[in-house]
Amino acid sequence: MSIQARTNGRKAVSGAFVVETSGLTKRFGERVAVDDVELRVPRGSAFGYLGPNGAGKTTLIRMLLGLTDATSGTMQLLGRPVPADRAAALARVGAIVEEPRFHGYLTGRENLCVIAAAREPEAYDRIDGALARVGLSQRADEHVKRYSLGMRQRLGVARSLLADPELLILDEPTNGLDPAGIHEFRDMIRGFVAEGRTVLLSSHLLDEVEKICDQVAIVDRGRVVMQGSIEDLAADGAPTILIATSDDRRALGVLGQHRAVETATAELDGIRLTLHCDVQAEGAADDIGRRMFEAGLAIRHFERARASLEQRFLEITSRLEEAA
Amino acid sequence: MSTTTITAELQRTHSRSPRRPRLVNAELLKLRKRRGLILATFALTVLPMIAAYIILVILHATEPAKHGPPGGLENFSGSMYVLTQLGVVAAILLGATAGAGDLGSGVFRELVVTGRSRLALFVARVPAGLGLVVAAVWAGFTVTAVASTVLAGSLEAPGAGLLVESAAWLAIVVGVALLLALGVSSAVGSRGTTIGVVVAWELVLMPFLLQMGTLGSLRELLPFAALERVGPSALFDGGVAVPMSLSVAIAVIAAWTIVPLAAGAWRTVNRDA
Repeated sequence: MSIQARTNGRKAVSGAFVVETSGLTKRFGERVAVDDVELRVPRGSAFGYLGPNGAGKTTLIRMLLGLTDATSGTMQLLGRPVPADRAAALARVGAIVEEPRFHGYLTGRENLCVIAAAREPEAYDRIDGALARVGLSQRADEHVKRYSLGMRQRLGVARSLLADPELLILDEPTNGLDPAGIHEFRDMIRGFVAEGRTVLLSSHLLDEVEKICDQVAIVDRGRVVMQGSIEDLAADGAPTILIATSDDRRALGVLGQHRAVETATAELDGIRLTLHCDVQAEGAADDIGRRMFEAGLAIRHFERARASLEQRFLEITSRLEEAA
Repeated sequence: MSTTTITAELQRTHSRSPRRPRLVNAELLKLRKRRGLILATFALTVLPMIAAYIILVILHATEPAKHGPPGGLENFSGSMYVLTQLGVVAAILLGATAGAGDLGSGVFRELVVTGRSRLALFVARVPAGLGLVVAAVWAGFTVTAVASTVLAGSLEAPGAGLLVESAAWLAIVVGVALLLALGVSSAVGSRGTTIGVVVAWELVLMPFLLQMGTLGSLRELLPFAALERVGPSALFDGGVAVPMSLSVAIAVIAAWTIVPLAAGAWRTVNRDA
């Protein structure tokens, strides 16, 4: 399905952001599940909504989709205000919230027919294509109660495609999938983005988000604490150096006293140094090299490492814990 | 017809024909594909009628002096009583399933995510449930009507007018029971609880209350009292349990359908999906 075909003669909404929230808050009694969230999901991106379990990811998605009301704040989906213009906004949104659910006594195809009935008439014409896209054409006429979890996840994606979505919202979509299934899912999502669709992926799996997404928001205790491109987020983190010397034990002692080094950790193939955020990385690296030389240690490997999303996530959330 | 053929046909019908709303088609699909439910529905409405007339035929054949012809007005009236009671049970099963089926399986959330109005999702359940239950009781009624006419022998057979009136009344009785169960199950969100509560009300508590003369005119508020009032008088030889005016009867029937439906619709629109 091309973007051209997807508009179906209707004017496609062309704002820069497919999801915009402002001051979005959801309370359950005294507990604040989503706290004053300002979120902007750029059109055409694979956007990761990343946070630990219980951070409020699913609650935010449920509000966006009209499954539960917001306590306060505003939301826009595809440029339309939600819930005021919810029907028009959701017409071009496909979603999997938590585990996709189906009528087990109906076949995969019949389950799609049920959902197509609630969408525009053209949704019926997309059923075969959607089933083929997720590799379920051969099993489409089997009862869903006989499907594996992976097949249900794929059927959930097929169901989302009935909307011919500009935006796909996937909540923990790789839960319960085996490594091959996860790999397949990752490729599928990248394929959707390549077609010009936007994918908003909520996950607590940092590695997964890093592999799939190009933009990310980190959420902790209901608040979005940081958002931007993964490269920018990683670059903003504390500089890291991997170093291997002729005597790592002695090197660890020397490096542990260096004023630029925040932590020095022995690893299997050397030492991982995390520098203080406020130091100038190039100058500190030169100085560390000089100290090694002065201590009579030969440097066998020296590399500026790119901070992983996981490191940044842990840095950000541990800072929050300290502040709390 | 294979499953593939049926669903292909369904897709074609859905996308091309505006005659039946697509959401109603989908609700019908969900109900009729529940094999156990459909078997139970027809087992409650058609099988007892066939079994009853077979027994009456055998009794009449073996001892004609003691047992009269199996057909005729009296046997028709008796079998209508049984069909009404069992039809109500079938209606409760169908109504409770139509109202809480999507919630129970978690599919309601998936339907809401399409952006379709929750009220439209609720309303579609009504014609689908009514269509199925009326088809089932009319199948049973056809057996009764044919048997009581063909096998009347020397007895007076039910006339065409009475048959039409009875068929319409039967549809109203099961329709009211279905809408009550549908409304309650949509409001409560549980099929099992609804079946238990509504069956107990319809088949145990309400007949008991109808017999309590001390309740006086309060009994006019009971739906079966009102339904008896609007039914064909030939079916109630001994007269109705609670005499009341036709307008009161219609108002009571309307209240027993509108109130539960309104409660179910309100809850469907407002519940967290």
